[in-house]
Amino acid sequence: MTGRDDNTKDMNTAGTDNPSETSDRPRRQMSDAQFEQLLGEALRVDVPEPGQRHAPTVPARRPSVLRFAALAAGVVLAVGVIVNQLWTYGYIASGDIVDDVVVHINHEPAALIEPAASVTQERFSGVMQAAGVSMSRFDARVTYVELCPFRGEMVAHFALQGSAGPVTVMLLPNEQVNGPIAVDEDGFHGTIAPLSIGGSIAIVGEPGEDIQDIQNRVADAVRWRL
Amino acid sequence: MSEIERRREFDALTRALRPELFRYAFWLSRDRQLAEDVVQEALLRAWRAWAELRDTTAAKSWLISIVRREHARTYERKRLETVDVADFEEQLSGPVDDPDLRAMRQAILGLEQEYREPLVLQVLMGYKAKEIADLMDMTSGAVLTRLHRARARLREAMGIEPDDRREVPQ
Repeated sequence: MTGRDDNTKDMNTAGTDNPSETSDRPRRQMSDAQFEQLLGEALRVDVPEPGQRHAPTVPARRPSVLRFAALAAGVVLAVGVIVNQLWTYGYIASGDIVDDVVVHINHEPAALIEPAASVTQERFSGVMQAAGVSMSRFDARVTYVELCPFRGEMVAHFALQGSAGPVTVMLLPNEQVNGPIAVDEDGFHGTIAPLSIGGSIAIVGEPGEDIQDIQNRVADAVRWRL
Repeated sequence: MSEIERRREFDALTRALRPELFRYAFWLSRDRQLAEDVVQEALLRAWRAWAELRDTTAAKSWLISIVRREHARTYERKRLETVDVADFEEQLSGPVDDPDLRAMRQAILGLEQEYREPLVLQVLMGYKAKEIADLMDMTSGAVLTRLHRARARLREAMGIEPDDRREVPQ
């Protein structure tokens, strides 16, 4: 420390770590000048170098480490949730059509149960029309039908009752596959098969289901509307 | 004045005043990290409003008032807990060899804000009682009283004989 007299150092400073303990100690002397100098010196704490944390003098918004970490974690979480939701709900594709089909089926459990009532012909036709599909000569008990987002498209998704349980059918006019792709995930069994008219269909049911038969019947009945 | 000129002017001013602003923010908050955040946010606000400042000679008081408001906002937002005196040395950027200096800093940190702030403005910023009164929205008499009591409390905390003859600088 500079500037203060040496006798300042000789003053009784023992115990000054705890100011609350000073009342019983002998008081010491300090001149006004010494006191003011010490006060000024005490107030001039070290200042962080601008380069350490504040490179530009004109400020740029700088989140603290914790704030940044929380923000980053929040963004990652939010993006993850959004992507997951978009994928689950079919607005984006994962790149693997089998994964997308299985995820979509799992997301619509109503298609996997066997309700007492069948879907009316009127409702079935309405969904088909909305999906740009017409179907003829199709004999099956349809228990579920929805217009669903799938890989960025709105497609027809219906369920019919097969010999082993519910069978999911998805009509995919804009999904091209080179040949049948087997689906064997999460206990589902089926295929994604190309159609001669373009596009493809996904047929997924329980193990033991005659997928080929249903595939043939759907393929014969479906027509894309242009 | 062009954008670049304005920026240079702001740069030069804040570069010169930054140490004082940081110290002021530190003694308000008693937290180095918080003080840096407060100064940073205050300068951000200041830069946005820089074009509206007509009298740049008043820039120092203007910046101090922004730091003061920003600290109050931060304090309100975070509902900061009472600072533990035992943590002060860490806040003071490492140990201090001089026991008097160390004791004085601890004593200042232990002062109530109502005494600490005018003291900092007077000693660090060189403000007169009237200027402190304007900034803190109080009378000059009240400022002088607080300055006197602040010094008396520091002396008491450090075990220094009170000096009743001493006049508070105005």
